[in-house]
Amino acid sequence: MLFKTVNLRRRGQLAALSIAAVVILIGVPLWWRTTETYRAWLPVSQIQELANLQLQLSADVEVVFARGTVTPEQQKKVPLTLTQDDEHVVDEDTALRYRYETRYRTATIMEEDALNQPTAAEADLSLHTLSESPCGSLVVYVIPESSSLLPEDVDVYVGQRRTALLRIGAQTRVGRTLEQLLSHLEPRVKQVLQVMSFSHTDITAALSDRVRLSPGNKESIADSMRAFKSSPGYEITFSLLNPDPKSHRLHWDIEGAVQTYIQPLLRKLAPLANFSIDSQTLYYAMLGVNPRFDSSRSAYTLNSDSLAHVINPVEARLGSNAASSNPVLNFLLYVPDAHHSPLHINDHKKQEVPSNAFHSPRWGGIMVYNVNDFYGPEAAFPVDINIDMAKVMGVFLAQLRLLLGVQSSAPPPRFLVAPCSSAGIADWELDRLMWSRSVENIATATTTITSLAQLLDQIGNIVINDNIAQQVSSAVTSLQLAVAELESGNLRFALQYSKEAILASERAFFDPSLLHLLYFPDDQKFAIYIPLFLPMCVPILLSLLKIVSDARQRRREKHAKAD
Amino acid sequence: MAAPLTLLLILAVTIRAALYRSSLADLIAERVEVVSPLTAWKRVVEGLALLDLGVSPYAGDVFHETPLIIYLFHFLVDYAEITFMVTDVITAVALYLAVKDYNKQVFRKQKYALEAERYPLDCLELIRSPKEMYYIPLKVAMFYLLNPFTILSCVAKSTCGLNNAVIALFILTTIKGNVLLSAIFLSLATYQSIYPLTLCAPALLYLTQRQYIPVNFRRFSFWWFVAQYAFMYLGSLFVMICLSFFLLGSWDYLPSVYGFILSVPDLTPNIGLFWYFFAEMFEHFRLFFLCVFQINIFFYTIPLSIKLKEHPVFLIFMQLAVISIFKSYPTVGDIALYLAFLPVWSHLHRFLRNIFLVSCVLLACSALFPVLWHLWIYAGSANSNFYYAITLLFNVAQVGRTVTETKVHLAASVSGFVYRSCCLTVT
Repeated sequence: MLFKTVNLRRRGQLAALSIAAVVILIGVPLWWRTTETYRAWLPVSQIQELANLQLQLSADVEVVFARGTVTPEQQKKVPLTLTQDDEHVVDEDTALRYRYETRYRTATIMEEDALNQPTAAEADLSLHTLSESPCGSLVVYVIPESSSLLPEDVDVYVGQRRTALLRIGAQTRVGRTLEQLLSHLEPRVKQVLQVMSFSHTDITAALSDRVRLSPGNKESIADSMRAFKSSPGYEITFSLLNPDPKSHRLHWDIEGAVQTYIQPLLRKLAPLANFSIDSQTLYYAMLGVNPRFDSSRSAYTLNSDSLAHVINPVEARLGSNAASSNPVLNFLLYVPDAHHSPLHINDHKKQEVPSNAFHSPRWGGIMVYNVNDFYGPEAAFPVDINIDMAKVMGVFLAQLRLLLGVQSSAPPPRFLVAPCSSAGIADWELDRLMWSRSVENIATATTTITSLAQLLDQIGNIVINDNIAQQVSSAVTSLQLAVAELESGNLRFALQYSKEAILASERAFFDPSLLHLLYFPDDQKFAIYIPLFLPMCVPILLSLLKIVSDARQRRREKHAKAD
Repeated sequence: MAAPLTLLLILAVTIRAALYRSSLADLIAERVEVVSPLTAWKRVVEGLALLDLGVSPYAGDVFHETPLIIYLFHFLVDYAEITFMVTDVITAVALYLAVKDYNKQVFRKQKYALEAERYPLDCLELIRSPKEMYYIPLKVAMFYLLNPFTILSCVAKSTCGLNNAVIALFILTTIKGNVLLSAIFLSLATYQSIYPLTLCAPALLYLTQRQYIPVNFRRFSFWWFVAQYAFMYLGSLFVMICLSFFLLGSWDYLPSVYGFILSVPDLTPNIGLFWYFFAEMFEHFRLFFLCVFQINIFFYTIPLSIKLKEHPVFLIFMQLAVISIFKSYPTVGDIALYLAFLPVWSHLHRFLRNIFLVSCVLLACSALFPVLWHLWIYAGSANSNFYYAITLLFNVAQVGRTVTETKVHLAASVSGFVYRSCCLTVT
């Protein structure tokens, strides 16, 4: 009978042990596997490589010697290619290298004919019909000093496409060697490159997201803050503000004007970003500032100091296309009411601004259009007025160019820049924009990706889903491709890859699925487990303790019996 | 004994037929305590309609019963009421025959033990007399047929009745000792809902003991028997699954039936424990707690088998109780099946100290279920916590009763001075 009870007790212990075994062997690994935070694999090593940015910008330059610039013996040696590297270290993580591949050759007969045109503009036009330079490259034609193409005080003529005409200086006389000629030309060609391709100041300004630079003088700060930051798309809104509909009935052919004046420019800028245009008319929209009547000119005036207060009250009424996250460029055309006409804007020196317009950095532009000349004092109100869209669009186009970053600084002395083509932007200006935008995109994308990788590394609670990992991988691949294309000088592809990189990195960084478990403190996890598991574990633990104490007692009895 | 049994059957059928014809049938068919997303008749009708249209009955996540059931009702849908009544009758008769056979064996064992003088003289009151044991099978059949839970389940045409019939046939064939039929019915029961898998262990224990094979892990004969049973079981399960595949033409019944039972996507309130817990569970932990809850049902098999090695029929009763308390979509039909076994161990009931408390709690909860449901859903003055509290209380009462039954049974089964001590404590 004792045997039977011992057997029974042993069976009871076995039962308790089996429960404990199931809990430990199956329960704990199950808990570990099913409650871990899902983290997909990220290419961390590649991201760390990207943190150290070594950008190389390659520009191809072709220098063509016209007749009269080199001697016949030198002509035979001329077809040669030189490569020059300029290294700049911006900070400890960023280094820039500019590589100029210069190809020297003599002009062909057709090019000589083109250069024999009477004016530089015509020469430029006929040179274009001969060949098309790829995006990002330049052709510089060196013409002799005696040539009559350029006026007296101008040494360099910058064309509408990607050509420039360079006049050799007076120091060059026959008898100079080719090396002397080349070394004399080199700094001048570089100056042309600085204007037409990229300059160190532009590129470092584009890197401002990544590198903190000490600001220069006041003008350079203003220049750097004016243009919109690189974005995959922009919204352009044209608004007509009519504060006095009882007096003026305004008609503007905005669709036609946009089609004629703005669309060519935007079509040319298509590789840079997507643009969407809309327009609206706003009635009873007053400026927030009361203009002062200037009796000397018998007109109302707005000071340059009060211009800053004009925008805010108007902006609240403007409305916007809330469906997109792209930055908005607002262009406002303000027709002053009959009691405050004519209205002129004064600059700092109290002079009238000829275009009667001003623009606000990274916001848009406002033009004041006076209509008091269109009707006499005895006219029947409201008066029908057709707005001259050519004048208006001229001003808005200039402001658009400034806001998009097309033109940043005045050309150096003795440079003559050709007026823009019908599209509103020269090819080399587009190239400049594409260089700086590519670099800006690459800088922003690398910053975003490296900070995302750092964040994910430090905080273990962030869930990394598969789509985030895929976005990060594609961003890293696009960045590597963009840097490679910049190195080889394919500007268009570099810009496209850099845009893809930015899109992917922003999408990965701001994805809401990262935050699912972020604010889940550990003590809340205990609150989830305890209600079920604590009561379950108490009997198991108690029986295990009983088993242990029984075993110990039995061992003690055995020792006592032995003694 | 045939005459009283026939009388009982006629009475049961009359009650059910009367309720079918009354207006209560529709009302009962919608109660969540009686039908679950697995067993509702409405869903069977929907599945049949889809089948007639040529679409898979599992499209649309409405129907969650097995393909064999839908093909059965494809032919019997016009005689549905008769089918369910016949099913109840089959269950009752199977239980009657099973308990009669079991009682014969118990009595024989008791006679041998008496002759070997293993019982001390004080515990004579625990010994059962043939007269007592004569009426037990009838009582079991009565407990099943006239149980309000069973009647409600039958009137609602819940397919739970079919599940109960299969399990009852399994118990009958196991007690009779027919290994092949026991394996077939067990695989059919597992095929219907996964949980009867745990009944493998008591079946094996009973059959090995009946064939005088010692339950010893080091013996080859034991493992050979286990292998035979497993082969028969798995083979018939495989046959049934392949048959379903060929009948339907696709495998999409597997996620609809077994995936539904295991992953509990439908959180309609019922008398089980799953719905409230998973309604409030964070998404991140859902998988873990799902696994814990499902393991909970299979968890008690091994320890209980170790403790109740010599009482496999009691082990079956325990397992049925565990399944019907902890399964993912329990209904009152499942409870009715194991309540039918209570008369078998009626001689121990005077030792159950809390039987009055437990019975009162069960009755009160059964009455409160519809009241709190109405207050929650229709009157809007209660909320889910009220209903879940009653669910919890109901299940606690069941668990409490199960635990004390086990304890008393274990105590009563050990002969010798433990028996004496138990008598001393009781009296």
